[in-house]
Amino acid sequence: MDISLILLTLQIAVVATVINLPLAIGLSWLIVKRRVRGSFLLDVLVSLPLALPPVVSGYFLLLLLGREGPVGSLIRDILGVDIVFTWVAAALASAVVSFPLMARGVMTAIEGVDERLERSARSLGAGALRVAFTITLPLAYRGIMAGVLLGFVRALSEFGATIVVAGNIPGRTQTLPLAIFEKVQLGRDADALRLVGVSIALAVATILVHNWLLSKSRTKD
Amino acid sequence: MATENFIEFNIRKRFTGFDLDCEASFGPGVTAIFGPSGTGKTTLLNCLAGMTKPDEGSITVDGRTVFSSESKTDVRPEKRRFGYVFQDSVLFPHKSVRDNIQYGYNLTPVGSREIDLDHLVDMLGLSPLMSRNVKNLSGGEKQRVALARALAISPKLLLMDEPLASLDARFKGAIISYLKRVVRELKIPMVYVSHSLSEVTALSDDTLAIEGGRTVAFGPTRSLLGRPALAAVADYAALENILEGEALPSQDGASTSRIRVGEAELLIPAIDAAPGDAVMVSVRAGDIILSLEAPQKISARNIVKAVVREIHDLGSQVLVFADVGERITVEITPGALADLSLMVGSDVYLVIKTNSITVMS
Repeated sequence: MDISLILLTLQIAVVATVINLPLAIGLSWLIVKRRVRGSFLLDVLVSLPLALPPVVSGYFLLLLLGREGPVGSLIRDILGVDIVFTWVAAALASAVVSFPLMARGVMTAIEGVDERLERSARSLGAGALRVAFTITLPLAYRGIMAGVLLGFVRALSEFGATIVVAGNIPGRTQTLPLAIFEKVQLGRDADALRLVGVSIALAVATILVHNWLLSKSRTKD
Repeated sequence: MATENFIEFNIRKRFTGFDLDCEASFGPGVTAIFGPSGTGKTTLLNCLAGMTKPDEGSITVDGRTVFSSESKTDVRPEKRRFGYVFQDSVLFPHKSVRDNIQYGYNLTPVGSREIDLDHLVDMLGLSPLMSRNVKNLSGGEKQRVALARALAISPKLLLMDEPLASLDARFKGAIISYLKRVVRELKIPMVYVSHSLSEVTALSDDTLAIEGGRTVAFGPTRSLLGRPALAAVADYAALENILEGEALPSQDGASTSRIRVGEAELLIPAIDAAPGDAVMVSVRAGDIILSLEAPQKISARNIVKAVVREIHDLGSQVLVFADVGERITVEITPGALADLSLMVGSDVYLVIKTNSITVMS
């Protein structure tokens, strides 16, 4: 039972991360490189879920994805399914809450690439997209990965938004933090502690990789 | 090719507290943009490159309008095919020397590849460095790679932003002699930003002097030096004659070496060079003594016969252009000019101490 719990937790966190990465890179691009009009507003929007209680983010998602919600009813009409209280909803909740951490990491990484390198590449005949894929992203790679991992740990530990929009259904939407919450509620301390151990192991491993990537990217310059 | 109007521009760009408002046209040789720091030289260069968009005006290069506020033309930098060399190289740190040089070459349409890569690498002495990591190169090597990278796209125009400013004197000489070779052999028009009058006179055909974003003087570099407008922004006493010479056979263990510059032979501080090697040296204009007769019993080792070609009396200082097969600029006082009654065409002797000559390579 622990294994499937861990796998579901990882699945939800991975999906959340995969959804977030292109968005984080795209938004960072608009804010850092293109400096689009209103990018300060975008900047606030990106960081907002970090500042809000996750319950609030979850509640927004519930309103959006619920049966009567604009997105929820649309999906129901097209696919004939409900998203709320499924693992997909849990992944979306994790995505929303972990997005700021990833996006801020990615933004810092992209901002850290010397603009003159990109201008050199432009003068050598590379279009904006080619510059992104041959210069900016390879040079920002480690910083981006660090941001990805930071988002990933946050997604692993997501609780507040998930419970609102996906509930706490063992085997379907129950992730590690939700399972721990349940064991504690039921007074099953031994089970709770065992899961806490798993949780700590996952977190430590991810943080170690994150720090290693960051130290590498620093010695690179 | 319209030779006199290879580049024509007339642009305005407003910044807070600073305006660039400049108009000029250059021939297809080497053009220097000269002026003190913070006067808009780099902004002007970036406008030419397409990296900064002027507020209004137009830029035409070789008959092609790359920017015009009137017709809303703004050719993207990657479509202009102008090479760009930064002050501190800005090589791609994640690529080898070879990959840096090939980056733009590979993006150049096959039909437009006029410069042979092997020849270029050879000309800039980069063959031994090709598989090296760019992080382990010296400043001079980096700048040569940056130059090769920009030239590899067979640019229609090479833009350089203070390419020598962050180099030691010994690297400077080498890069200058490489640049001269590039000009001689590849004949690529260049625009060269510099705050050093010595570099400007050593390298450029035309000069655009700007200050505070405005044109101060513009024209052939040779004639520009004598203009009072330029004298106001330039320090002539520090002006160095950067000369390219050829090493002559010298005695082993001697404390001096001999080189030929134009028709003159000069004794310079000892160098390690084989006869025939190119040697870059510099002599400050203010360190050269003019004499009407060959002085005798004098410690200075170089007494070189020359002909006065031009005299520019700028009030507090006088510039004399002496011809020894190469032009050497000498700075003297107005009093000295009066005492010697120098005239254009006069035969003179240039007296130069060996130790006043700095070896740059």
